[in-house]
Amino acid sequence: MSNVILKELDVTNFRSIRGHVHVPLDAKVVLIHGENGAGKTSLLSAIEYGLTGNVLALHRADPEYAKHLLYRSASEGKVTIKTDSDGEEKRFDAVFDEKGAHSRSRLDPKEASFFSERVYLPQSLLSQLLQIYQESRSDADSPLAKFVGDLLGLDRLDALEAGLKPLGDVRNLRKVVESWSAVEIEKDRREQFVSDRTEALTSIDQTMHLSLLELKAICDGVGFKDQVTPTTLNVIMSELQSEGDEKQYDEVLDRQRSLGSIRRQIASAEEQSAQPISRTEADAATARTAFAEWESVNGAQIEKLRSKINELLPSLKLSSDLFGLEKEAVELLQREHQQLIGQAEQARRDLRRTVEAQRELDATRQQVIIIDAEISQISADAGVLASALGELSSYIKSDVCPVCERDFGELHNGSLNEHVQRRIIHLSSSAARLLTLGKSRGESQQTVSRLEIELETLSGRKIASETLVAIDRRSALVGSTIAELQRVGPAIAEGAALRANDVAFRRAASDLQARSSVVMDARATVSEFAVLVGAEGIGPEEGFEAAIARLELMLRQQAEQLSNRLTLRRKGLELTESIRSDIKRKTEAEGMLEADTKELKRATKALQNAQALRIQGQTVRDTVDSVRSAIIRRVFNDQLNCVWRDLFVRLAPSEPFVPAFRIPEAETRQLQPKLITVHRDTGEQGGTPGAMLSAGNLNTAALTLFIALHLSVSKVLPWLILDDPVQSMDDVHIAHFAALLRTLSKEHGRQVIIAVHDRQLFEYLRLELSPAFYDDSLVTLELIRGPRSDTHCVPDRPEFREETALLATA
Amino acid sequence: MSQSPLIRAIQERLRSGGYQDLPTPFRIAGVDFEFTAAMRGKDGRALDLILLIDTTTGDFGDRDAARIRQRVGALSRALDITESRFVITVILAGAPLLGNIDTLTETCRVLYVEGLAIDVAGIPIDERTKNLLEDRIRLLLPLDLPNPVALEGGSGPAVEQLIRSLTPDAVDQELLRALIEASKEGESAVTAAVAKEIGNALSLEDRP
Repeated sequence: MSNVILKELDVTNFRSIRGHVHVPLDAKVVLIHGENGAGKTSLLSAIEYGLTGNVLALHRADPEYAKHLLYRSASEGKVTIKTDSDGEEKRFDAVFDEKGAHSRSRLDPKEASFFSERVYLPQSLLSQLLQIYQESRSDADSPLAKFVGDLLGLDRLDALEAGLKPLGDVRNLRKVVESWSAVEIEKDRREQFVSDRTEALTSIDQTMHLSLLELKAICDGVGFKDQVTPTTLNVIMSELQSEGDEKQYDEVLDRQRSLGSIRRQIASAEEQSAQPISRTEADAATARTAFAEWESVNGAQIEKLRSKINELLPSLKLSSDLFGLEKEAVELLQREHQQLIGQAEQARRDLRRTVEAQRELDATRQQVIIIDAEISQISADAGVLASALGELSSYIKSDVCPVCERDFGELHNGSLNEHVQRRIIHLSSSAARLLTLGKSRGESQQTVSRLEIELETLSGRKIASETLVAIDRRSALVGSTIAELQRVGPAIAEGAALRANDVAFRRAASDLQARSSVVMDARATVSEFAVLVGAEGIGPEEGFEAAIARLELMLRQQAEQLSNRLTLRRKGLELTESIRSDIKRKTEAEGMLEADTKELKRATKALQNAQALRIQGQTVRDTVDSVRSAIIRRVFNDQLNCVWRDLFVRLAPSEPFVPAFRIPEAETRQLQPKLITVHRDTGEQGGTPGAMLSAGNLNTAALTLFIALHLSVSKVLPWLILDDPVQSMDDVHIAHFAALLRTLSKEHGRQVIIAVHDRQLFEYLRLELSPAFYDDSLVTLELIRGPRSDTHCVPDRPEFREETALLATA
Repeated sequence: MSQSPLIRAIQERLRSGGYQDLPTPFRIAGVDFEFTAAMRGKDGRALDLILLIDTTTGDFGDRDAARIRQRVGALSRALDITESRFVITVILAGAPLLGNIDTLTETCRVLYVEGLAIDVAGIPIDERTKNLLEDRIRLLLPLDLPNPVALEGGSGPAVEQLIRSLTPDAVDQELLRALIEASKEGESAVTAAVAKEIGNALSLEDRP
């Protein structure tokens, strides 16, 4: 529509216009003159109402103004405007009656708004214009924001800025991006898992390290030189299982017994040799009787006992009687008894523990199942849903659901609001519970694996119940045998003494001769024995007793040593087993750790990516801000201020201060330009226009601001309609103003319609705006109305005339 | 003719603004009029008659306000007699005048150009002086409007500027394209677009 011109206007009974006037408007400049009250303003507002269906200035004063548009004593009125766009005519109609006004056809809303804001400057607005812009705030509807909006169409930037706003606060972001919280929760959960598993692994490593150290100590104790590492376990195990020590131990025990018998022999020989030969025979008779008596009393019982012990301790090899061996037998039996009791107790402990651990394991597994079930019931989105409901709840005003519009009250189940609140509390606690559940699950899982390992160890050690019974039986037997042996100990001792006596006396005579040779033999035997067991023989100065004690000590030490070694081996084997199971556990835990770490990485990466996008979104938003602020600043500084200054200087060339907008260097959505003045020549900033300019120049500032705003935006409608804008201008300004109007009309293609009430000014403008070239045109209209007559409009159309007055004095 | 540099500078500026020199003296209604210089506009300004008066040297007694008023008044009357529509603009260039010139404004448009730093060739010594000169006679010069930043419908330079301001490594191009596209549909579309992009990034499914 940028070539459209206003062609003609027909007004009937509109505001102060009485009757019908036909007004031609088809000229580059339309100059309207009339005394005050003749209807100039009515004519211009008729144009506005006809085109837009509204009179903005009247609307500001009284929203009900439409009722008063009809001339006060008329019954109906009408406004018709025709426009011409390169030969294409358009018609706009409005009718009025006592009830109000009705616009039949009008400009489209965008053009209508342009007309009211940028084309038509009513007289009342001129004085308020600076005030309006000075007081304008940053809101979207403020006149300046509207101007900027008209000018720039920054709506896409606005959409970007507003649309990206939720990125600023992660709580808003969670509402917008549903999966954000889900991934956050997943990440937390995996983190917990990873930390749990790492902890478990560390504890396994520690246990294993300690076990390996212990095993190493055992290997050192036993004398293995192999390296103790998880990979050499098999070698160590087979070495620990070798039976060498056991055989040696048996051998040492044998030797101890042999030494015992040698000692006894020698002792008896020495004893006998101490008795005088004279008493031998008489004593022999007494002794025989006494032994026979003892044997008849105790013989059977002791024989039974002996065979029992023989059975129990086959290695003891009791010859025919117990004499002299009862102490040793008691000792051996007690040792065996201790071992058996130990084994049995261990087996029972293990059995109990197995049952207990199995129960614990079942319970914990059950726990995991229950936790899993609960986790599966809780939706991962519970938190999101809760916040969504939370937002929704502010919309719940009654029992009618804002989503489905059903009445909740029908259920008779409390109010909807309470219901939703209950639901939110439930959902929020569900989300928190999910975290707790995840953690408990991890702990339970750890317990399960610990128990499984324990059970495995236990089952490795498990003894068949028959064996346990056998052990118990044997233990009992050994126990009773020991008791019996201890009970009959004195009797045996007595019997032994008696028999010894008997034998001694019996043999005394015959032995007497052989004594010295026996002693000599014994000495040789001991010496041989010593060599046999790897010790030194009896030295020439060494007595029997001393030598035997030495050997005994040596053998006892050997036995102790070997017994220790055997204990170490057993312990070593147990440790090996436990290390193996640790390795297995470790492998499993590592597998799970790997899986969890992978998931964690994935979640972390996803969050990182999302965070990166969020930051980029914010970057876009920040850039939108800076781009827009740059545009606005440029528009104000390079465009509006330039045009305004140019116009103002034209009209007031001697005013040193020119008005301008200043855009503070601040955030842009908050568009808060300030009206200031700037010294024309130095660029120094002065005060506000109100403080720096005279009343006439203030008026000029407002007028030029309106024209500058009009010129700065794109030319939607190329019209400028000014209602008596020069009322407080002095002559100088008026002359300049006339020149400016000419510039606008003839150089910038604006159709200028201007109303003035001053006759002289009218004549002056008529001269100044006369057609200056062939196609130029001017229409002058004089509005005349008597007190009781209709309004008349007298049009005149001066023609272009070549100027011939000027002749050079050739 | 030995014109002052200031007068030459004004003439030069007016010539480049579309005015033509008139030979002086010129004759109207049988009377000769002599001024330091006279110019005439063309087209829309064809009725502008500009008289330059050098108040420094005082040709034709031009240092005296009364004398000037007298001659301009005579010219005005001569134009009236011939029913001419010429509009007179008097440019007083140079030193302040002796006497009262205010009444001259009743007859014609008066512009003052006081002493400015102009070199002998009639060229202002710097940009600022040039602007000062132009400000004094701006009314006679064409009104130059900066190119309007007409951005109808919101597309175009604003969004293009935004894209230019964002270096490709600062913002993912896919994201930017989606946002720019969505900005046509308004703020909620933008929010939806960014939410979708972030949602895709958050997806734990393996992406090819």
